[in-house]
Amino acid sequence: MPDWANPVARYVLEEGLPGMLHVAVISLIGATVIGVTLGSLLTIHFRPSRMLIRLYIEIFRGLPIIVTVFLVFYGLPPISPALQFSPLNATGIALVLWGSAQVAEATRGAVGSIPYEQHEAASALGFGWIGRHRYVILPQALRRLLPPLVSLLVNIIQNTTLAAVLGGLELLSAASRQNERVAAVPPIGTGQIHALEIFGGLAVLFFVISFPLTRLAAYLERRLV
Amino acid sequence: MLLATYDLWGFVSENRHELWHGFVNTIKVSAIAIVGSYAIGITLGAARAHRIPVVSQFTAVYVEVIRCTPILVQIFLLFYALPQVGILLSQFTTAWVAVTIWGGAFHSENFRAGFLAVSHRHREAAFALGFRPLAAFFNVELPIGGRIALPSSINTAISVVKNTSLMYVIGYMELTTTAINISNLTLETTEAITLLGIVYLTLVWSLSALIRLLERRLALPEGT
Repeated sequence: MPDWANPVARYVLEEGLPGMLHVAVISLIGATVIGVTLGSLLTIHFRPSRMLIRLYIEIFRGLPIIVTVFLVFYGLPPISPALQFSPLNATGIALVLWGSAQVAEATRGAVGSIPYEQHEAASALGFGWIGRHRYVILPQALRRLLPPLVSLLVNIIQNTTLAAVLGGLELLSAASRQNERVAAVPPIGTGQIHALEIFGGLAVLFFVISFPLTRLAAYLERRLV
Repeated sequence: MLLATYDLWGFVSENRHELWHGFVNTIKVSAIAIVGSYAIGITLGAARAHRIPVVSQFTAVYVEVIRCTPILVQIFLLFYALPQVGILLSQFTTAWVAVTIWGGAFHSENFRAGFLAVSHRHREAAFALGFRPLAAFFNVELPIGGRIALPSSINTAISVVKNTSLMYVIGYMELTTTAINISNLTLETTEAITLLGIVYLTLVWSLSALIRLLERRLALPEGT
């Protein structure tokens, strides 16, 4: 590796990677929990709740994610100062809103694919709606949900780069800052442009993380469904 | 305090020229990219379905690279990295090239699946009727496989429209960049985001309604 590249790689991995993981963990957990809940509720035949959840899904699937990111970061603080989030957290929340809409849609399909006898059998054993879903339906539906959840993780990882738009420090903004520093005149930088190596390297990093996950999703699809 | 001064109509009417210009740019980039990505997708999808050597392998790599790297990194590569090797793209060129390449990858998967779903007997029937391979493709495979791929391909087209908003990062004056830039000056951020939400949801929801309409209109006759 040439002299200039070592500090660039270190900065991207030591400062950018934790930022990316921070956003990805919030998004994955939040999107899964909210998405599975909304998706299960969507199977209840009660018009008002179904319409509300459908509206939520259609809005956050329809909006470009960057608009949702702006909505959370700039649109919430005027409502209440308590809703002021850091760029990384705001991106995480935006990805929860977007991701939970995807998961809810997938959960509805997965829960719907469980035979109705399972619901009846669980009811006969004395489970209420929550117990029936918690102990009988969702554990079975989760098998079918696993491949789309892995695909969601891949999309979340790619979309963490949106935090760069708000100035949050994740992989893309880390690479971008280093790109500018390297291009600066010595002693700060090298005075040469290395954007192709830096952003190309970043693309390789994302590929190395994402590609195995897409293979895993395809494998799970074959095995579990 | 801020909500008390909320005035969506004021924001739109005071900046209608800039906002309209931004909207036109969004539509322009989307239109070019949708046409371009369909062309790429149908060509490469057919090449993959027919396992045409070299092109097929190239497509497989192209699709994986696009799907496994963030589109923002792809935009940065086009806009900030290509000048290093002497290729300078304007913001407009970067905008449509980036979403066309991205959409082309997803479309080639849609159409590969569509063409693979065309029964082999249809091709054989076409050959028996004296069609040459290219004529058989355009007259038999494309009408059948294209219809199978249509719903998923419109979903990709919708994503193409939504992804034009990412051109904010290179400052291309499409709708999102325009609205956010204005709101940075006037502090009407809530109004700007409301407008973006209304416009994008209208575009996306109309396109999804179009899917349902086309699915009914273009449904394959029974038994095909």
